[in-house]
Amino acid sequence: MEIKIGISGINAVDNPGPGIGVAKSLKEAKDFKAKILGFAYDAMEPGIYMDWIVDKSFIFPYPSGGHDAFIQRLLYVKHTYGLDFVMPVLDAELPVYIKYSEELERNGIKTFLPSLEQLKLRGKDRLKEIAENIGIDTPASEVVTSYDELYKAIEKIGLPVMVKGAFYKAYRAYTTQEAVSYYNKIVAEWGYPVILQQVVTGDEMNVVAAGDGEGNSLGMVGIKKMWITELGKIWTGITVKNEKMLLAARKFIEIYKWRGAFELECIVNNETGKVYLIEINPRFPAWSYFATGVGVNIAANIVRKAFGLTVVDYPDYEAGKLYIRYTDDLVTDLERFQKIVTRGES
Amino acid sequence: MERLKQLAINEEGFIFDPSTGESFTTNKTGLFILNLLKEGKSQEEIVESLVSEYSVDRETAERDVIDFLERLRSYNILPKGEENGD
Repeated sequence: MEIKIGISGINAVDNPGPGIGVAKSLKEAKDFKAKILGFAYDAMEPGIYMDWIVDKSFIFPYPSGGHDAFIQRLLYVKHTYGLDFVMPVLDAELPVYIKYSEELERNGIKTFLPSLEQLKLRGKDRLKEIAENIGIDTPASEVVTSYDELYKAIEKIGLPVMVKGAFYKAYRAYTTQEAVSYYNKIVAEWGYPVILQQVVTGDEMNVVAAGDGEGNSLGMVGIKKMWITELGKIWTGITVKNEKMLLAARKFIEIYKWRGAFELECIVNNETGKVYLIEINPRFPAWSYFATGVGVNIAANIVRKAFGLTVVDYPDYEAGKLYIRYTDDLVTDLERFQKIVTRGES
Repeated sequence: MERLKQLAINEEGFIFDPSTGESFTTNKTGLFILNLLKEGKSQEEIVESLVSEYSVDRETAERDVIDFLERLRSYNILPKGEENGD
């Protein structure tokens, strides 16, 4: 069975999008044949040129550009080349794809995403409630919308403190002045509310997983970041089995009936054994191929579930498997760039 | 002791903790002590074993074992405040 799958985030750069990892995973599925269509926003996204992973690419209008242009582009791909499934992996795309999922389904394009209601769970102002429900901790935090609240929050939490936007950006402030400046920066860029969060120490551990929307897991793997770039992106990692963290991920799927991929970002303090929930990302992380590499092909299972194929049970994985990201280069003809620029497709 | 039990220790002295992702290396003597700890031997028993296995006097063996156990505590492999491996 051949399935034509559109994947965004094929910008395999120093702050990589999750698309290439997802595409690689889908290519490895044996029970269906994935044809990968790369959905790019720029003609320079490396995935366009990685033709051993991405079969064909299309330039897309930004989702913020409105319903018509976006849907028209998807329908164009459907009609000219064929498109059975879309796996959006970028935060900004998710609300749009979720909102129009029924319209896409009517046109023969499937998705497998959380509901808009579930998507709201990723807000940092919901972290405490979720952490409590899934049996882990969260750093002390305060939601603030004014200078007055900001000062009170600093008094309560102490310094240093993390100053975060509800969805994006996080800065560590060592003084009240610094906190005020970061607060202004976040408000100017992302608006209210701003979250002040206690700084917790420990190892940065993450879980990549997916839920089937009925409370069951489609696979999960826990990792520890061993080496990160200046942008905080993983470069070397190792699989771990922190039972408390994995149980929390299972509970998250079970309680919230999560549908689709997600990532839990945690800080684990090995001295106290506490697992702190830092963030929930409602999509695959850029390192998701790590899970596939240790035998847990979560992306393939999402596609299986969406198309009613038999879902593979991945009960376990090995701890102590290494992940090494590396840079590579390729040389190609200008014609390929010309083609994508002038025609909007490769 | 819980953490100690789950450690994967290979014969070259490479130690991996599957729950924390931490890895350590130790020498032949460290490996000898770790394996005895995993078997649940006490500090006293480990010192005895070292003395009979290696040509080392009791005082040196005791000092080395205490030193090593302290190192394990500092890495949280042994719980802090626990006197020995029992």
